[in-house]
Amino acid sequence: MEDFFNKIKESFTNTTLEFETINIKVDSIDWIDTHKKLKDGFNLKFFSWLSAVDWDNDVSVGEAPKESVSPNFEIITCLSDLANTNLITVSTKIDKSDPKIESLVEIYGGANWHEREAYEMFGINFENHPNLEKLYLPDGYEGNPMLKSFELISREVKPWPGEVDVEGMPEESGSDKSPDG
Amino acid sequence: MVNTLDPQNMNNFSEASVSIEIETEDMTLNIGPQHPSTHGVLRLVAKVDGEKVHDVKPVLGYMHRGYEKLAEVRSYPQITTLVNRIDWVAGFSNEIPFIAGAERLMEIEVPERAKHIRLILNEMARISSHFVFNGAYALEVGALTPIFYAMEDRERVLDLIESVTGGRFHPNFNRIGGVKPAAGAGPTSKKNIQDLPAGFYRDTKVAMEKVIKAADQFQNLIGGNEVFKKRTKNVGILTPEIAEAYGVSGPILRASGVKSDLRTHTDYLPYDQFDFEIPVGENGDCYDRWDVRVKEMVESAKIVLQAIDSMPSGPLQAKVPKVIKVPKGRTYVRAENPKGEMGYYIISDGGLGPYRLKVRTASFSNISILPIMLEGALLPDLIAIMGSLDFVLGDVDR
Repeated sequence: MEDFFNKIKESFTNTTLEFETINIKVDSIDWIDTHKKLKDGFNLKFFSWLSAVDWDNDVSVGEAPKESVSPNFEIITCLSDLANTNLITVSTKIDKSDPKIESLVEIYGGANWHEREAYEMFGINFENHPNLEKLYLPDGYEGNPMLKSFELISREVKPWPGEVDVEGMPEESGSDKSPDG
Repeated sequence: MVNTLDPQNMNNFSEASVSIEIETEDMTLNIGPQHPSTHGVLRLVAKVDGEKVHDVKPVLGYMHRGYEKLAEVRSYPQITTLVNRIDWVAGFSNEIPFIAGAERLMEIEVPERAKHIRLILNEMARISSHFVFNGAYALEVGALTPIFYAMEDRERVLDLIESVTGGRFHPNFNRIGGVKPAAGAGPTSKKNIQDLPAGFYRDTKVAMEKVIKAADQFQNLIGGNEVFKKRTKNVGILTPEIAEAYGVSGPILRASGVKSDLRTHTDYLPYDQFDFEIPVGENGDCYDRWDVRVKEMVESAKIVLQAIDSMPSGPLQAKVPKVIKVPKGRTYVRAENPKGEMGYYIISDGGLGPYRLKVRTASFSNISILPIMLEGALLPDLIAIMGSLDFVLGDVDR
């Protein structure tokens, strides 16, 4: 794994190795080239997944980032080599006002459905995708559910009682025990 | 005399009737979402030309529950309840990579005993999942009997899982830092925690020997059946190249001749302490996919038998803070689940719940090859091919 990381470092500038996973950050212009290089030059032929993250300070679900972030979409792919433990995630950031990126379907056929999912959930346009339609959501569904600004209606109607678990646990139940009761 | 069971000849027949006798039109055939062979609510829209299928479009989303979104409004301990329900045939296996990811970010060292218990239950989940496959797949290609044997044998394994966790399908047994005290263990005082129910080792030994016997029985009952062989051999061949590019994993990948098993590649559970083989297929056809799974059951049973013999003693839980906050960071933990690679990409911002949780499920990638595999297949083979992929819709739609 160390040797492999050194090889990766020679070819890519922004790389880190944590938890046995190599992370490469690239510009969105190099998205296609990076994946071609990784597939052919580094034998990372196994396409594990592709997904996106909505980075935003203004959230209506969950917690907002503790430190303020510049709003953007981060797109992440995960590739691996079946013969060994090499595992890589590649990430890039794209602008939220015009969310588009080249499709990877030509390189990894498996990207097809993952990109369709990211398209419907985040509203990211994958250019040159052969069939960019909704995957899970019904036709006519409006909005992109995975956006941080997309509200969970059930939470609006009835607030989740989860807060209770976090605040008022009785002391007697054993302070050094796990929170399972 | 032509052997009409030979798929090669059947191909010729259908071609002959199409091109010479009559002008045919493509018919659109809608299979599912309520078709018994689709293991839930998968819908296929297939164009059928006589007996030949082409241009298959899987339509997903009938089971989409939005777990990735729901996880964003829940704390880490609450999420294990959610992820249990992803692949409900092997609920226990779904918890492992998620918990391992949270533990990795929190830098918690899990006690050996807890790891062993996880490993045993994980392998039992694999066995029960493969039992379901054996019964259901035989049923799909026309053999009614095996499912009764499979369900009976599976129940024995589920009973064991239930005796430890309290749940047959949704154990919700893992805790960050270890496992919870077992359900059947009686009262738990601080000083004297009994973690596994009385007689667990004995019952497990009996059950695992039965599993090995059952696998042998399946080899004869299903694998030795001439009709089953005709229906599955050389049907739905998957090449390793396509499998890799589409992220196909697990027994399907191994049936195509790729010796790849995350149990030996990653350290989410101490599999390196045990001896087991990784069964690999040769042709990558439906028969191999069935065969690999039956052999895997035996290997899993062997792992469980070794694990209960070498069970370490010690605590079940590492020290964890009362309110679980996962430090800022991100990690991807993958695990070899019964259906293939399952993983969770956790992005934590130091809060009570993840900022983003990406769930990578095996069945999703596994069935994304359906349009390729079904191109040009015969209509009866459609069911045989679809069944051999052994997917669960909860695992596809999440």
